Amino acid sequence: MTKSPSHQRIFRILSDLSAIPAGDIKVEDRLREDLGLDSVSSMELVSMLSEEFAIDVELEEAVKITTVAALLQLADQRAAPQEGAHA
Amino acid sequence: MRDDVLVLGANGFLGLHVVDALRAEGVEPRCGRRRRSNVLGLLSRRANRVLADLDEPESLRGAMSGVNTVIHLAGHYPRHSLDPVGTLSLGVQQTRTVLDAAREAGVRRIVYVSSTATVSPSEVGASTEADRFDTPPNFGLYHRLKWAMEGVFAEAGDIEVRVALPAGCIGPGDLRVGTSAMLVALARGDDPPHPDGTVSLVDPRDAAVGIARQALRADAPSRLILSGRSVGLHPLLVEAAALLDVAPPSPPLSAETMLARARAAESAAAGKRSALSQEIVELAVYGVPVDGSLATRALGVRYRSFADSLTDFVRWATPLGFLTPQTEPTP
Repeated sequence: MTKSPSHQRIFRILSDLSAIPAGDIKVEDRLREDLGLDSVSSMELVSMLSEEFAIDVELEEAVKITTVAALLQLADQRAAPQEGAHA
Repeated sequence: MRDDVLVLGANGFLGLHVVDALRAEGVEPRCGRRRRSNVLGLLSRRANRVLADLDEPESLRGAMSGVNTVIHLAGHYPRHSLDPVGTLSLGVQQTRTVLDAAREAGVRRIVYVSSTATVSPSEVGASTEADRFDTPPNFGLYHRLKWAMEGVFAEAGDIEVRVALPAGCIGPGDLRVGTSAMLVALARGDDPPHPDGTVSLVDPRDAAVGIARQALRADAPSRLILSGRSVGLHPLLVEAAALLDVAPPSPPLSAETMLARARAAESAAAGKRSALSQEIVELAVYGVPVDGSLATRALGVRYRSFADSLTDFVRWATPLGFLTPQTEPTP
């Protein structure tokens, strides 16, 4: 399946932080166990996405994001109204 | 609103509280951040973020343009004590980079946030701002690093340098669970191994008030201890256990045993921060009682109680999943 530009960007950021090639990262991967990110790196990741996609993420929400799928879902949910406005 | 204050390390544990304290004093600070860092706290505060990376001197010069006062909380904080030469070299180099950029930008005052680790023992009661090591401490890489970074500011020339010396911070916002590590372990129902020794504590919100006022007030002390309390580590953990309603900790282990355990834990962590660090052990083993009353007399800093700080920490940490339900009130 073709990835959307925002998903491609997220995979690139994940690759950058984990040093795992973007093509080897799977949607079902867990940030800690599969990609080797510690809690600090995971928070940095959520923070980077928050800035890049201009989405507000509360701390309580950020610490619960533990998988690639959850990251993509967050970006999709928050980006949806914005993308609709530009359609 | 005054906007000529730059906070380096604004997105950190103490830094975020300094941003809040500056706003309470009528200042909207520029908040320096590294290119890759967790800035969720700054985003939620709608703070003015600027790139100020200690490894990118040009970014520092840009961030300092038009700035009168820099509050520097971004000093190198090693994840472990396994590389003394590299750690000291990096810390000193980054500090020089900050000082050089400040000089080029025409900054007039720097508040360097150091640590009570640079306060030397006193022969007459608790140590004060006058007690400082003339030569590098012969123990603890963290102690030597802080001492060395403070020393760089002796070369500050025309820039006025003030040094803040906060104790170990216990309170809300400790995302990396640094100084709170043993309290978190206790709250989770673990029995944290610990050495005997003295620790000094401060709520980061109170320390932040002191740092903000030290930065802004013309007649503030040039060296300022920010500590609400000095206490034995074991009695502190016993007190915390009672407040948390968990089992009290086992008696302290010897300094040698704890340092060996910390070294092993750091080696096993392979470059990441381990749950038990030499720095935390050494801060207790070599800790001395300090007197934080000058901040109260000179700047009106009021220290809240350890019980209040711990309660607020638990209230903050529980929804984040840092603690187990043992800290919740029993139904």
